[in-house]
Amino acid sequence: MCVGLPARIVTMNQGMALVDAGGARREVSAQLLDDLEPGDYVMVHAGIAIAKITEENSDETDRMMEDLF
Amino acid sequence: MGTKKPCAQEIISSYDGPRLRIMETCGTHTHEIFRLGIRTILPPNLELISGPGCPVCVTPVSFIDEAVMLALEYGTTICTFGDLVRVPGTRYSLAAARAQGANIRIVYAPLDAVSYAKKHPHESVVFLSVGFETTTPASCLSVRLAAAEELTNFSLLTANKTMPGAYRALKDSADIFLYPGHVHAITGTALCEEMVKEGVSGVIAGFTADEILTALAVAIVRHWEGRPFFVNCYPRVVRPEGNPKAVALMDTMMDRCDSEWRGLGCIADSGMRLKDEFAAFDARRRFHLPPVTGHANPACRCGDILQGKCRPCDCTLFGKTCTPEHPIGACMVSNEGACSAWFQYSV
Repeated sequence: MCVGLPARIVTMNQGMALVDAGGARREVSAQLLDDLEPGDYVMVHAGIAIAKITEENSDETDRMMEDLF
Repeated sequence: MGTKKPCAQEIISSYDGPRLRIMETCGTHTHEIFRLGIRTILPPNLELISGPGCPVCVTPVSFIDEAVMLALEYGTTICTFGDLVRVPGTRYSLAAARAQGANIRIVYAPLDAVSYAKKHPHESVVFLSVGFETTTPASCLSVRLAAAEELTNFSLLTANKTMPGAYRALKDSADIFLYPGHVHAITGTALCEEMVKEGVSGVIAGFTADEILTALAVAIVRHWEGRPFFVNCYPRVVRPEGNPKAVALMDTMMDRCDSEWRGLGCIADSGMRLKDEFAAFDARRRFHLPPVTGHANPACRCGDILQGKCRPCDCTLFGKTCTPEHPIGACMVSNEGACSAWFQYSV
């Protein structure tokens, strides 16, 4: 039940966002994040968008390993 | 020409220092670590402990008993995440209650339970609100929506928990915590920084293979340095400030309370319940539920497993009478439970 799904916002309407997660679409609440727009990526958990996602994870982990030594 | 830097997998598999215990505190980490085969590259002195990260696994038997009572004796409709349906109660699971005529509905999200209540005004709908800081905002939103729409047939049976008490209760069971990425997407990183001052080390990890391996490698390298540390290895999702709107929503609607964790006992101030002004949406107060004491199967060692005191295969029930088909303990029910993952991936 703790699974978070990264998803792309397709449309926004009155605090709800239609999101696309790998082709599956559903409406989720977008009330807990500001300044969301179609095209943004969000992390969805239990029917709400909990965080805006900023970049590809591979860039982030590569940089983290670079910084480690 | 410089020396080639080791990759995360090499750092993990070549660890040859003193015994090092890293505890996962997220059920999805537990499941992914098993699924991805990460345990197969661990050297003998590096141990991954599946801690209390799965909300279903730490939910006490008494909560299931309360839900069954609400369904069978009070005639309510129970809306729940699917994982909870087969968790054994003292006498019945919700699945067994359904076989006796109880109305048990599986939903994906708390807001879906509100939609159900709206469409079924003649049913009294109770959503089983389990989960950590990641899930609690969704439960709060469901009550806020139900209140705004003046629904009188919707309430929560709460078992919401917060992680800080668990970290502190378990800090001697592990050397490093693999903190749950999505809990801290809500709460931010301040708590993890505080834990460093208390001598507790940890890294926040994401959920892909790359992210988990990187977080483990960072944890090992920083551990070599010999001082308590914290590193956020999931910054694309976890910001230092977390999600302020979600935190404010929880603060507005929920009070802290003591909470029972399966295996860990009662941890002070580690639970959340609706504030008095939302008492009409609190199933315990709405239906005046009597106090319930649950009784788990005494041979079940889920509690010890959640604290890293033993492995699933050390439990006499594991794989014999307790299997994913016929679970006896909560850790065998949920996909995110240590016993289920251990069984499924046959470590």
